[in-house]
Amino acid sequence: MLVKKSDAVARRSGARLARGLNAADASVPGTLDRRSFLKRSGLAAGTSAFAGQLSFSMIGKAEAAEGKSAATAVEVKRTVCTHCSVGCAIDAEVQNGVWVGQEPVFDSPINLGAHCAKGASVREHGHGEHRLRYPMKLVDGKYKRISWDEALNEVSERLLRLRKESGPDSVYWVGSSKHSNEQAYFMRKFVSMWGTNNCDHQARICHSTTVAGVANTWGYGAMTNSYNDMQNSKAIFFIGSNAAEAHPVSMLHILHAKELGAKVIVADPRFTRTAAKADHHVRLRSGSDIALIYGVLRHVFENGWEDKKYLEDRVWGMDKIRDESMKWTADKVLDVTNVPDEQVKLIAETLAKNKPSTVVWCMGQTQHTTGNAIVRMMCNLQLALGNVGVAGGGTNIFRGHDNVQGATDVGPNPDSLPGYYGIATGSWKHWANVWGVDYEWLKGRYVSQAMMEKSGITVSRWIDGVTEKNELIDQDPNLKAVVFWGHAPNSQTRGKEMVEAMKVLDTLVVIDPYPSATAAMAAMVRKDGVYLLPAATQFECAGSCTASNRSIQWREKVIEPLFESKPDHTIMYLLAQKFGFDKEFTKNIKVVNNEPLPEDILREINRGTWTIGYTGQSPERLKLHMKNMHTFNPKTLKAQGGPCDGEYFGLPWPCYGTPEMKHPGTPNLYDTSKHVMDGGGNFRANFGVERDGTSLLAADGSHSVGADLTTGYPEFDHVLLKKLGWWDELTDDEKKKAEGKNWKTDPSGGIIRVAMKVHGCHPFGNAKARAVVWNFPDPVPLHREALYSTRPDLVDKYPSHDDKKAFWRMPTLYKSVQQKFKETVKDFPLILTSGRLVEFEGGGEETRSNPWLAELQQENFVEINPKTANDRGIRDRDMVWVKSPTGAQLKVRALVTERVGTDTVFIPFHFSGWWQGKDMIEYYPSGAAPIVRGEAVNTATTYGYDSVTMMQETKTTACQVVKA
Amino acid sequence: MRSRALAFMLALAGAIVLSGCGEKEQVVVYKQGKYQGKPDSKPWDATAFGGDKAKWEASIRARNQNQNEYKRM
Amino acid sequence: MARMKFICDAERCIECNGCVTACKNEHEVPWGVNRRRVVTINDGVPGERSMSVACMHCSDAPCQAVCPVDCFYKTEEGVVLHDKDLCIGCGYCFYACPFGAPQFPQSGAFGLRGKMDKCTFCAGGPEADNSEDEFRKYGRNRLAEGKLPACAEMCSTKALLGGDADVLSDIYRERVLKRGKGAEIWGWATAYGKPEQKPAEQPAKTGEKS
Ligand code: SF4
Ligand code: SF4
Ligand code: SF4
Repeated sequence: MLVKKSDAVARRSGARLARGLNAADASVPGTLDRRSFLKRSGLAAGTSAFAGQLSFSMIGKAEAAEGKSAATAVEVKRTVCTHCSVGCAIDAEVQNGVWVGQEPVFDSPINLGAHCAKGASVREHGHGEHRLRYPMKLVDGKYKRISWDEALNEVSERLLRLRKESGPDSVYWVGSSKHSNEQAYFMRKFVSMWGTNNCDHQARICHSTTVAGVANTWGYGAMTNSYNDMQNSKAIFFIGSNAAEAHPVSMLHILHAKELGAKVIVADPRFTRTAAKADHHVRLRSGSDIALIYGVLRHVFENGWEDKKYLEDRVWGMDKIRDESMKWTADKVLDVTNVPDEQVKLIAETLAKNKPSTVVWCMGQTQHTTGNAIVRMMCNLQLALGNVGVAGGGTNIFRGHDNVQGATDVGPNPDSLPGYYGIATGSWKHWANVWGVDYEWLKGRYVSQAMMEKSGITVSRWIDGVTEKNELIDQDPNLKAVVFWGHAPNSQTRGKEMVEAMKVLDTLVVIDPYPSATAAMAAMVRKDGVYLLPAATQFECAGSCTASNRSIQWREKVIEPLFESKPDHTIMYLLAQKFGFDKEFTKNIKVVNNEPLPEDILREINRGTWTIGYTGQSPERLKLHMKNMHTFNPKTLKAQGGPCDGEYFGLPWPCYGTPEMKHPGTPNLYDTSKHVMDGGGNFRANFGVERDGTSLLAADGSHSVGADLTTGYPEFDHVLLKKLGWWDELTDDEKKKAEGKNWKTDPSGGIIRVAMKVHGCHPFGNAKARAVVWNFPDPVPLHREALYSTRPDLVDKYPSHDDKKAFWRMPTLYKSVQQKFKETVKDFPLILTSGRLVEFEGGGEETRSNPWLAELQQENFVEINPKTANDRGIRDRDMVWVKSPTGAQLKVRALVTERVGTDTVFIPFHFSGWWQGKDMIEYYPSGAAPIVRGEAVNTATTYGYDSVTMMQETKTTACQVVKA
Repeated sequence: MRSRALAFMLALAGAIVLSGCGEKEQVVVYKQGKYQGKPDSKPWDATAFGGDKAKWEASIRARNQNQNEYKRM
Repeated sequence: MARMKFICDAERCIECNGCVTACKNEHEVPWGVNRRRVVTINDGVPGERSMSVACMHCSDAPCQAVCPVDCFYKTEEGVVLHDKDLCIGCGYCFYACPFGAPQFPQSGAFGLRGKMDKCTFCAGGPEADNSEDEFRKYGRNRLAEGKLPACAEMCSTKALLGGDADVLSDIYRERVLKRGKGAEIWGWATAYGKPEQKPAEQPAKTGEKS
């Protein structure tokens, strides 16, 4: 009955609305919208699951008791949404320890009270109906409750046994971008003390190519400006980003900019909801970004739209990019990208004539075998236009998870220690010193110094670490155990092969508030050896998190951990105890009731992370910002008066020096129009001072405002300081500590203080950005076809890389796969691509467990063009099979829409819980299955990894769709 | 020039629509704690405002400006 | 005198459903009941527009006119409320409503209709303000806390505006002037009467701001 009703509602109001709107825009025919499509197709499932459970007229007592009427005082806790990197603040109202209300924080300069569906429903975390409630283990194929003691004992015994038998590299630790900075940092420290570099987190599979590509171009691997700063933009170019769904509150700033006249262009294989809000949509073929940007650059250079002075002063190697761009004539660009020259020119002209202009990219660019080169093209475009280091310009790279930026900066990366220190001896010594442990002891935890200094396996390849032939991998043992610590399995490609890897593991440990997808996949193929430990959510502990714009916000604890769950850092401490390194682990950190204090952990981060300026953000300063949000200007992020006067909100890193030095944070990176003590800067001198006989340092006269050195200069160390005659400006104590050190390793912060505060110079030097990154496989970015390309003719012209032998410890294939599947188009003629829905996040277990969100998207689906569908006899809302060259197949509902072109189909990636047509409900721990389950797109995705960072290819692969 | 004029006309149309919505006058009578026979209290009678209508209205007006980001940016 | 209304700005709404879950959250609205929904036209093609729709709290509310037990009432601020103790769940109001606002929760195994539920403009119901009873039947009463609707206050792009009509008009007018388009406000004519030809005919209204 209700089904019919709602159905009628949707149609009725839809039709009326259509009339209302079409009055203004009568030329556009109406088509079916996704929402009512899904409502109609899915509501039955929801209502049968929930029939009569909660009718409003007889709502249960429990809910009523949560009303705000009772007499006890309501406490307000300020926290931050955990669902994306925008970093929207939330005021949580807590009464008697129960989270009873959620209020918008209008004062926040980031979101001004606004939320998308996910943020507006976070209070559901206080219900947590579908959480894992207590530790469990797999016994005879079923999950059984065990105590924490049993769980910790058994898990540690099993891991210690493996460590003894096969060495520490036999265990893989998948950390998390959902961890706070303190937890992510602790994770890297924990894994180091366990004795391996085999750890990673979501950044590998979201923006690793960005981080590597961008950092190697100009210094730091992060969003250069901020969501707020986009209000200053006159033109905004999105490519491979669907901000309206992935970063909804960013649109508050973007639509505001648009209202003030900014031009918005969206390039995407889909007509996304962001495209619906843009002035122009450009439909490019998935994975052809490099060709498109060369086309744009050709127009820029041909018309003399480049910023010549800027290139002269601040950029190295642009002539090579220019030469390459000249090869990308209109017909070539059209052939590779499907974009006609008028549109290519429109992009160039819009960006060149409406400055400052900015670019935004996300997973549409990063998740390719050529990701590192694609993102460098974006940098080159912005460099050519002189848009970097300018308010309203920059490369606005929207990160994904709430703390993926922070976890990248200080968390579990297989190739670096916190703060991108690398894993060379000097870096280890630096951190051993900060941790207060003996370097030799630390080294002794590893198999050897060689393994200590060799980059670990990436999360994108852990399955191969388990199943690859032992002689082909670049470490002694294969992986025998995997610990999934806040990471979904369905976000990694090649799902079909993943269950095979799960099958042969000795031990699988899942630590998560919602471990269910991993748990169910494992239970599908195993009888035992799987442990589930309930972790607390970010609302159940305090800590800091770094938004995409590098602003760091402090979260207060809202409620006590629900059920038997424990905070991640507590679990790390308990395991460290079992492993016998708890003393070393928490040398500088106070532990209360087994919980290492987050404030102390942050102070330790402050003491060591000089490289990227995570040193100035003491817990006290961050908390002061959270209390005085109203004093910050939402356009500049700068506080006007009040206790934080002159500082930028959340002390966006780099916030150099000690907290006492009072660096205000850096709102826009590399901005020479400001003094370094006011957040100004320039490009980093990180690649030497000379190359091919030309200087890599900035040209004379190009420097940040007020710098005593008015030429380019290298990074600061004790030698340079002495040469300049500035050494004696250090205090005696600073001198003692700084002797023999550089700005990154001087534990006193004195070198930084003298360079910045006294002389207005940037401690990392003043150099040119590199348009050509000579240490990458394609120094000048080249277009290369995807491994599973649907254009064999282009494979011949633009082949992939040669295979690699030991790359992040793994043999990695390019050309051989590409050649093998060159004719794949015959059987799999469609490009399969994936992306986000606004209601869900990441692997989706958490959000699909929230009834307020789950109700809005009840089924997974594939978007397919009407022509493609008609050619296959598929009608809207039919069930179809999406078949992959791997042999995997997905059963999803067809959503016939012109949102995708005829050559492409799209499946959102947040679903799991169905396996090739079958609901996996029987494999879940009882009560912990999410409300909405569906086919995971990554069950069907194929092989393919970026040639620098091992990013997985998810955006361009091949498939066929047939009626089920 | 033309686009300016168009913008102006649109804006004007907006103004007309906004100010000119010919809402029917409805006299809502509140008698002995009841609206049209149904019991209810007025929002400003709640504890936070203690019957001070002006205070309530001021609160609502201030709060309303939070929906206008032009006030802050 | 405040006259409460909603405006949804189609140039800004991105169909993010923040308003929908804000409402669910604020009032613990059960599965299957949607006081607010987002409707999209031209989905996936140029011209795609979305609009968040709930009870518009009409000037001359059709639901009120057709209710056989006369359970509706209108407050001084123009909010249309109803008394669930009187409602018999007949569904007439649903057919009368131009916006499809009234919702009927399914209660019990046979799909019998429960009492009607709809958007209250976050103003609760007849029960004592901010009482447990009020919360149980109608959800939270934000107006009595001096706050405005949760959906509008949390809207991701400030597309959805809710509050005093005069203030909303000012906010909206400023935007329209800035961007030079999107002046028509969907739903207002239906909810609040036909637009008059001459604004001058409404002097009393605009001057009445309190
Ligand atoms: S998911 Fe992102 S945009 Fe949405 S409320 Fe949370 S932080 Fe804000
Ligand atoms: S005004 Fe309140 S009750 Fe009405 S839709 Fe908005 S949140 Fe829901
Ligand atoms: S929250 Fe705002 S932008 Fe999002 S769907 Fe609702 S009205 Fe539209």
